[in-house]
Amino acid sequence: MKRLAAVFVSVWLLVVAFPYLWVLLASLKTPHDLIDPRSFVFAPTLDNWREVAASGIGNSVLSSAIVGLATVGIGVVVAVPGAYAISRWHAGGEATRFGILLSEVLPPAVLVVPLFLLAYNLGLRDTLVAVIASHLTFVLPVMTWFMVGFFDAVPKELEEQALVDGYGRIGAFIRIVLPQVLPGLGAAMIFGFVLSWNDLFYALILAGGKARTLPVAVAGYNTFRGVELGQMAVAILVSVVPVLVASFVVQKRLIRGISRGGLKV
Amino acid sequence: MASVRLEALTKRYGELEAVRGIDLAIPDGQFVVLVGPSGCGKTSTLRMIAGLEEVSGGRILIGERDVTKLPPKDRDVAMVFQNYALYPHMRVRDNIAFGLRARHLDPTEVRRRISWAADLLGLGELLDRKPGALSGGQQQRVAIGRAIVREPSVFLFDEPLSNLDAKLRVEMRTELLRIQRQLRATVVYVTHDQEEAMALSDIMVVMRDGRIEQQGAPGEIYAHPRSEFVGSFVGSPAMNLLDGIVSGGQLRAGPLVADGVSAVDGPVRVGIRPEEVLLAHAVPVGEPTIAFEATIEVIEALGPRVVISLAPIGGPPMKAVIEARPAAALRETARARFAVRPDALHLFPARIGG
Repeated sequence: MKRLAAVFVSVWLLVVAFPYLWVLLASLKTPHDLIDPRSFVFAPTLDNWREVAASGIGNSVLSSAIVGLATVGIGVVVAVPGAYAISRWHAGGEATRFGILLSEVLPPAVLVVPLFLLAYNLGLRDTLVAVIASHLTFVLPVMTWFMVGFFDAVPKELEEQALVDGYGRIGAFIRIVLPQVLPGLGAAMIFGFVLSWNDLFYALILAGGKARTLPVAVAGYNTFRGVELGQMAVAILVSVVPVLVASFVVQKRLIRGISRGGLKV
Repeated sequence: MASVRLEALTKRYGELEAVRGIDLAIPDGQFVVLVGPSGCGKTSTLRMIAGLEEVSGGRILIGERDVTKLPPKDRDVAMVFQNYALYPHMRVRDNIAFGLRARHLDPTEVRRRISWAADLLGLGELLDRKPGALSGGQQQRVAIGRAIVREPSVFLFDEPLSNLDAKLRVEMRTELLRIQRQLRATVVYVTHDQEEAMALSDIMVVMRDGRIEQQGAPGEIYAHPRSEFVGSFVGSPAMNLLDGIVSGGQLRAGPLVADGVSAVDGPVRVGIRPEEVLLAHAVPVGEPTIAFEATIEVIEALGPRVVISLAPIGGPPMKAVIEARPAAALRETARARFAVRPDALHLFPARIGG
């Protein structure tokens, strides 16, 4: 049994962890070593790291962070009351519960043209505002849907008890209901941030210039002279690390949130 | 504490009328139990008193205040829910203090009331625990504690004992009565359990289909049910019910024949409590009784008493509750003579359409 488990874990590691290892090695290789992707013995160099650092990737990290935080911030303000209304007051009817996820089914290509035209006409092209707006189109529904599941799990009586105990609807919500869903809210925020952080498509089309986010910067190493693999590897690592950390923090809650959301139709 | 008055109180959910204009006066300091089968409107009534359901018609008065349109927080009521509704993220102490802090009570007074309630309910060691670390009975006590520290005009209980196991339920029943007597509290209590209702109530209100079927002292309702429904709902095992016919002062119902019945001629329903079915030889000679013969089908021993399922000759099955000692001679499948005193017959109107 143990041996079997070891085999499975090894295969899993090979599939999931090996690409990261390969990217890490690539980031330490000279262009000459990169020609042979199978070479594991080489003289490591930090040249790629130096060049990427000098290229102003910091700006892209900052842009991505601003976009992610703003998207999640607006997401919380809208998704929390929205999810509460759907869960407790059946706002929009029962269909809203899952209908809200329909916007995720739309291919981004459907939305990106109108969004581009909107941004162009409003003079928001190549600004972070445009990217934030586009990210809200897919982050907001997911966060809302996620939170509906958590609000469903809060017994109605808790809130009613707070009403009888001396608070109004808003007081009861803030003091009693909200604290019950904080773990879920944390997970929803991290999840939303990761979604925004990883987006290339909208960010590339709406803000491919000075306001470019990290994924756009990563893609930028695919130049007309060929792929700058070494530097791209560095940029990939920079963009992947926060997501990895977030995934470890969030995974348990993520599973719970999804199973709750899924069970309560 | 205060009295509560309901005037033509009505609750509609769309087409469905859950509470159909009930009138009820609850005197100050009385323990009132609303009891009835599910869907009878008892919970809707309680929730309207609490302010958790909007009133569709009629008025609610607490003391002299018309609270019909007030939000729950301004009604000065405290409520205990079936699932206790303890705030999971707060310690017991903060749960109990929650309603007091909401009303900006002086912290010294808050502490005084917490320790008073903790003494009364034996919560001392639990004050710093979270509700998740408590047993069902302990959670129940905390919920009661949270209600009593408020010193409200009225206590509202929504089936507070039904999540407890049978033994604990009976213990908590006594405990509740003790606290209610000590505080001289006005209590409105909802349950579907008629035995619990009998045990707790000063005034028992039997509800059905959104109406009050009968209200009064539980003993009175038990002894003189005003309708077949009340008769059969209150008491366990349930009242025996037979179809009968009155003609010229004589009643014939299954195996029973009784003379001198003061009822108009025609079909009637006859109710007999199982404990009013006696062994014929146990009745003192000369006392008027209606005797009948029956086959004993099943005997269930309950300790001090036994429940006997009878198949009377020429009548539908009945149940009898008899003291264990005289019943010791009885055997299943044997025949025996039973008797009913004439004043133990409850006559109800015949059911329309059978």
